[in-house]
Amino acid sequence: MAITMADYKGTVKADWCPGCGNYAQLTAIPMALSQLGISPENAVIVSGIGCSSNMPEYMKAYGFHGIHGRSLPAAQAIKWTNRDLTVVAYGGDGDGFNEGTQHFYHCARRNSDITYIVSDNQIFGLTTGQASPTSRIGMKTKTTPDGNIEPPINPLSMALSAGATFVAREFSGDVKHMQETIKKGIQHKGFSFIDVFSPCVTYNKDNTYEFFRDRVYRLEDEKHDTSDLIAAFRKAEEWGDRIPTGILYEREATIISDIDPTLKENLIKSPIKKLVPEDIEEFL
Amino acid sequence: MDRNEVIVRVGGAAGEGVQSAGLIIAKVFSRNGLHAVTYNYYQSIIRGGQSWYQIRASKNPVKSQGDDLDILIALNRDTLERHTNPNINEGGASSLKGVAIYDSSIGNFNKYEGVKYCEIPLSQIAQKYSKNTLLKNTVAIGAVFGHLAMDFEILAGVIRDQFGGKGQIAELNVDAARDGYNYFAEKYGKADKVLNTSKTSYYLISGGESAGLGAVRNGLKAYFGYPMTPASSIIHYLASHSKKFDVFVKITEDEISAINMAIGANYAGIRAMTGSSGGGFALMTEAVGMAAEMEIPIVIYEAQRAGPSTGLPTKTEQGDLLQVIGASQGDFPKAVFTPRNVKETYYMAGEALNIAEKYQMPVFLMVDLYLAEHYETVDDFELDPDIERGEFANSDEKDYKRYEFTVNGISKRALPGTKNLMHNEDSDEHDEKGDVVSDAVTDPEIRNRIMEKRMRKMETYMKELTPTPTYRMDDAEYAVIQWGSTQGVVEEAVDALRNKGIKAGAIEINKPFPVNPDIKNLVKGKKKVIFVENNYTGQLRRIISSEIQVTGTLVRKYDGECFYPGALASELEKVIKER
Repeated sequence: MAITMADYKGTVKADWCPGCGNYAQLTAIPMALSQLGISPENAVIVSGIGCSSNMPEYMKAYGFHGIHGRSLPAAQAIKWTNRDLTVVAYGGDGDGFNEGTQHFYHCARRNSDITYIVSDNQIFGLTTGQASPTSRIGMKTKTTPDGNIEPPINPLSMALSAGATFVAREFSGDVKHMQETIKKGIQHKGFSFIDVFSPCVTYNKDNTYEFFRDRVYRLEDEKHDTSDLIAAFRKAEEWGDRIPTGILYEREATIISDIDPTLKENLIKSPIKKLVPEDIEEFL
Repeated sequence: MDRNEVIVRVGGAAGEGVQSAGLIIAKVFSRNGLHAVTYNYYQSIIRGGQSWYQIRASKNPVKSQGDDLDILIALNRDTLERHTNPNINEGGASSLKGVAIYDSSIGNFNKYEGVKYCEIPLSQIAQKYSKNTLLKNTVAIGAVFGHLAMDFEILAGVIRDQFGGKGQIAELNVDAARDGYNYFAEKYGKADKVLNTSKTSYYLISGGESAGLGAVRNGLKAYFGYPMTPASSIIHYLASHSKKFDVFVKITEDEISAINMAIGANYAGIRAMTGSSGGGFALMTEAVGMAAEMEIPIVIYEAQRAGPSTGLPTKTEQGDLLQVIGASQGDFPKAVFTPRNVKETYYMAGEALNIAEKYQMPVFLMVDLYLAEHYETVDDFELDPDIERGEFANSDEKDYKRYEFTVNGISKRALPGTKNLMHNEDSDEHDEKGDVVSDAVTDPEIRNRIMEKRMRKMETYMKELTPTPTYRMDDAEYAVIQWGSTQGVVEEAVDALRNKGIKAGAIEINKPFPVNPDIKNLVKGKKKVIFVENNYTGQLRRIISSEIQVTGTLVRKYDGECFYPGALASELEKVIKER
């Protein structure tokens, strides 16, 4: 029987604010998974802490809702342990680009075979509106009453510089497009990173649906070469009247199980080593 | 050598090959059927400074690095003067009363009584074979066994193994050792009394290696870590054996990643561990509580060194007990193991994996630098696995609830990939099914029930707590309470007290948390209770006195060095005789 979106429907109703960008991802992720024929028992959604990180509670799949900033270490280990699983890590910009920064960088460097989707709303939502690592300069929040003075980080440039092999950007205002990119990300062998503009309708009055709708365009509509790293950097740094969405960069590369002999077999299925006297001869 | 044991010390600067020389000597003893214990005194420096390596060996079981120094190999003048000076200040180590072996080129130095100075042209002999100055160590090692008149061929075998078989380098080392062996025997003669040896050969293994091996025996499939002394010996062992044992070893970007990965791997269904010393473990703290809340098994190897902070990176201490017991916010079930010796570390590593899976809770395997890095001889290891994985649900399970409120507190796990049992494991408080109860409507009733369910696992675990081990407690009037690696030295101090007619015994804590109430019975009627701890505040005493109201006098050491049996016996005697 074909897998459908309904197979992923959870019993708990999402309690994000009405209009929250996360609802788009709650549609796009199960759509992508089901269209790829992945059954819910083989999908693991891993998250940290934040509004968006509540995602695993609202889907019927295997959910791992861990601690702030630490979704990627758990997600990588789950995939290394059982490569038959499809592992999607999901979380916010606060979770991923503050406490999670070095996991993000190293996960990209390792080309770990998971998909990482960030609901990037340029604000802390669950803690009721403080500046995040992607908040723009000048943004007034509870922690920056006179305006944010720290420049935002650029997650796409960071991913590219870390050696990520699949880097994309999406917008919650275009679920269909996002869902196609997520499908490609899941199919990509290695680390796929998708940064999603996901407006926070309650605490971010700057980066609204209108803000993005007026600016975003699709990379595939232009002559963008996704195998060109320098072109990808240029697109990652493009900001202002025009903001690109879609796949910025994609290349093939080895993953750890191609190289590490202990991962040659699926770890969960490889037999347990039984010690024999020869194994301890070296101590004699 | 009327003690029918020998204590050899090799001293020099870091980079002079002190440790490898010491290990060769220890291995020669173990292959001669002698029990041995080593101790590595070193500094946080790669070249220079002052380090030494001590080996104690005997036909009879030895339990600690011992006191009376019989033979010293001094690789430089500083070592020669320092270790022959009766006012030696090396954290309790004795000065030499015996044979000093050193290079003729060492020049003028202060001489002390009770030392037999045996100068040997070590460098000159070594130069016959190679320009590598480290070869003089091999000559000195040869001299030690010439003095002890032990079978040269056993030494030659150890050297060949050390230098990779029968190649040219191995053979010139064997020749250099033979020269040292003969030179000593001819010029200074052999020792008055020959050590008894036997045909048995013992395993010589460190605590770190033993922990790794014991975990592999019981199904370890992955280890995630970050380098930190003294938790590196287990990583080095597992990394160098990963292909042989099919254990996936990953050195991560930080300790936070290491523990979250290990928890992720356990969640997905394999046995995975992480480990560090106090500083790195501090970073892991938050994830310990996560594992407890999500009820995912995790074993953490915690190797203590002298703190606080960076402290003394290459020195031993038992200063992390409260840190480990108190790690992470909130109340949750956990178990702390503190193996007392290298052999016990092997079995406890396997037991920790079982308990963690059975109870789906964090289990700590705590050692210290002394235990992790010193070598002991072990007669035998049980190699057959002893695995208990706990309960898992199958895909045909009806009405599956991940955190079902059971009587014993344990609920069946369902691994990702299992049909029909999809659920969410959450660090937020949740109900039986795993649905969060902390967001929209906090439910105090459910909160109580899930909290009580988790804590019931602790009650269930308490029922299978093994009795607290004891030593010579049957007729003891004085109870000495120790924990972890101080077992050997405490038992030897107890023996020394017994020889003086003082009826002492030891209570040996290898599972300090949860506190075993049987300790209360063990101290009943004793004239005095004394805690021996390698820390400043008596951390075990603080836990035991608060949990079961057993307390006593504290004998402590916090200079970064281990206890020595003679000095400890004197201190215990003083405490016992105090009114």
